[in-house]
Amino acid sequence: MLLLSSYIFYSWWDYRFLVLIIASTIVDYFVGLQIHQSNNKKERKTWLFVSLFFNIGLLGFFKYYNFFIESIIDSLTQLGLSVENTWSLKIILPVGISFYTFQTLSYSIDIYKRKFMPTKDFIGFAAFVSFFPQLVAGPIERASNLLPQILNKRVFTDEALSQGIKLIIWGFFLKIVIADRAAIYVNAVYNNLENHDGLTFIAATILFAFQIYADFAGYSLIAIGVAKLFGINLMTNFNRPYFSASVSEFWNRWHISLSTWFRDYVYRPLGGNRTRKWRWLVNLFVTFVISGLWHGAKWNFVVWGALNGLYLIIEVLLFKKKRKGVINIIITFFLINFSWIFFRANNFNEAIFIVNKIFTKPGYLYFGFGEDITAFFYAVMAIGLLILIEFKKEFFNTLFSISNSKYEIIRLFGYAIVVFIIFYLGVFGENQFIYFQF
Amino acid sequence: MKNIDFKRIALKTLKFVIIFVITDFLFGTLASKLFFNQETGKYARSTYVIKKAKEDIIVFGSSHAHRHYVPEVISEKLSKTCYNAGADGQQLVYHNVLQKMILHRYHPEIIILNIDEEFLFKSNKSNDRLGDLHPYYFDFKDELNATFKLVKQPKDPKLLFKSYQNNSTLIQAVKYYLKPKKTLNGYRPLYEKMTEQKLIAHKNTNFKKEYTKEIDSANIKILKEFINRSKQHNIKLVFFTSPNLIRKNNTKNKSLNLIRQIANKESIPFYDFINNPGYLNKLDLFYDPSHLNDIGARKFTTEVCKLINQ
Repeated sequence: MLLLSSYIFYSWWDYRFLVLIIASTIVDYFVGLQIHQSNNKKERKTWLFVSLFFNIGLLGFFKYYNFFIESIIDSLTQLGLSVENTWSLKIILPVGISFYTFQTLSYSIDIYKRKFMPTKDFIGFAAFVSFFPQLVAGPIERASNLLPQILNKRVFTDEALSQGIKLIIWGFFLKIVIADRAAIYVNAVYNNLENHDGLTFIAATILFAFQIYADFAGYSLIAIGVAKLFGINLMTNFNRPYFSASVSEFWNRWHISLSTWFRDYVYRPLGGNRTRKWRWLVNLFVTFVISGLWHGAKWNFVVWGALNGLYLIIEVLLFKKKRKGVINIIITFFLINFSWIFFRANNFNEAIFIVNKIFTKPGYLYFGFGEDITAFFYAVMAIGLLILIEFKKEFFNTLFSISNSKYEIIRLFGYAIVVFIIFYLGVFGENQFIYFQF
Repeated sequence: MKNIDFKRIALKTLKFVIIFVITDFLFGTLASKLFFNQETGKYARSTYVIKKAKEDIIVFGSSHAHRHYVPEVISEKLSKTCYNAGADGQQLVYHNVLQKMILHRYHPEIIILNIDEEFLFKSNKSNDRLGDLHPYYFDFKDELNATFKLVKQPKDPKLLFKSYQNNSTLIQAVKYYLKPKKTLNGYRPLYEKMTEQKLIAHKNTNFKKEYTKEIDSANIKILKEFINRSKQHNIKLVFFTSPNLIRKNNTKNKSLNLIRQIANKESIPFYDFINNPGYLNKLDLFYDPSHLNDIGARKFTTEVCKLINQ
């Protein structure tokens, strides 16, 4: 039932690409069994390579083929060679491909490392790969957490149901009230660069920081909430990241399922920090560059990843102790915001244009025109509310909380207010989640 | 379905629904009060037109209507009271519902509809902008539901809630409370004059058109409804297009040509000022290439009055 609903859900977008999920499922199902059954190290490695080749190949073709071709041609052109691009293809990026390929890859790698036993239940495994709440934008689950929950008899409790609904409501608040509202202003600025100056770019970038957080954390909460309705607990994906006092702390709180994936399957296999210092720093940098590339086949994403890698290297070199305090939180916030410029800009050249304007021509702050004139104020108001709530959770978590009140009426009233705010202040349009494009 | 106490869940859901309905009613009523108590701004103007206006002449249209028809001039030249109900960014679908809402209460003698060149083209945005009329949903359910049906928008169940009816109206209300923008019977003049530099900047800007060039059959129906309703209530209907600073070749504009044909067939006077030589290249009369400033608006309104008087 879970598998069927997941396949229907995916087919709703484009049924043709269901073939890819099924292929990835079949490959890793058999690879998992073969690796487990074999005691021959070489044979096990060969099977692992089958999984790596297939999944990375799939991702490589659909997501990176044109990027690499165009980059090579650009490089040759820079060298003075005239090359006509006849190799680029019109490729549609299948939704969720970056997420489910990583999920199946981790399954095969964990079996190879003897951390996990493969399942013989094909239907259960297929449901693990395609579990619809997290299929298109994560959290990227590990087999060790999700698969047993799918295979074993699920225990539903009305408590889980209630928790699930609360998470869904809060997820929608983040998405509809904050992300979609901020997007109106951010798009108005980032899509009309010539008309704006430094101050406006700073404001738009700060709003984008909250837009992407509210959009992605909102989606994650909805996914976690929906999964709870099926009696399944997904991993936490965000933990108030903008209260981080260092960039390394930020990456422990932001997109946790992806950060830990890269830590376990890229950074550590490269040697992690248990190696010579220069090699450790290289490992950090390489991991973040790959993470940037995972987000999108564009140079600005690569630079965004590299910039975060660079921040971490500087932290390793300069700070021996764990950083704390408001000043460090603010510094980290601005460093992360600087990197968001490269993430949000439509391409690398535009990102450089924005950075240049920020440092050379502050100009005046644009509040909006036409429909986006109120968007700025709505977004600021909603972000203020979010900061207040997260501040309370971060620093005064033991204080009174509406959602944990012992009086049911207060809890229900609290959520009724949230739904009221969604209806009263939300943006209701056809706005997709940002991470669907990855 | 172990450990699920369905009775408890049903009871809890019921409690939540009741609490939400009460919350929505209480806070929604506050939101409504805030909305309807606005004294200036676009919502104050639409509320006035829908709930209070008794003027002899009502002007409908987008920002071109809002900025180009001076009620003071009309009153002086025609000896009739006038209110300018033009609304920035709004298209035919909005004017049609607004007309229905007004006629619910009273019948003006004359309706001026300022025609935009793209009125009949397909535009999802113009349907989305019907949201400006959501706060009136409680009193005008039939009018709005009929329009949603016409533009093939599904009936939105969220409109049952006061919170959603008043969606995104808070900041506008606060904004106009803190910084009122008085109008002259709905008309809001633009005082700046167009300059050569602004004209060059305009020519260099690639304006993103929100319209396709595809005629939307729903818009044809809407225009015919607008005309028929005026006829049924014996209201004199007149179509005008507004002047432009730069000459436009509209001979192939399907929307404009079709409106002209319909007007002709229905015997509705249609006066086209788009390429009127009295305005072409006259920087002094314009605020931007398609909006007249106050001087231009007064000149244009005077000419409109002469034509209505004929």
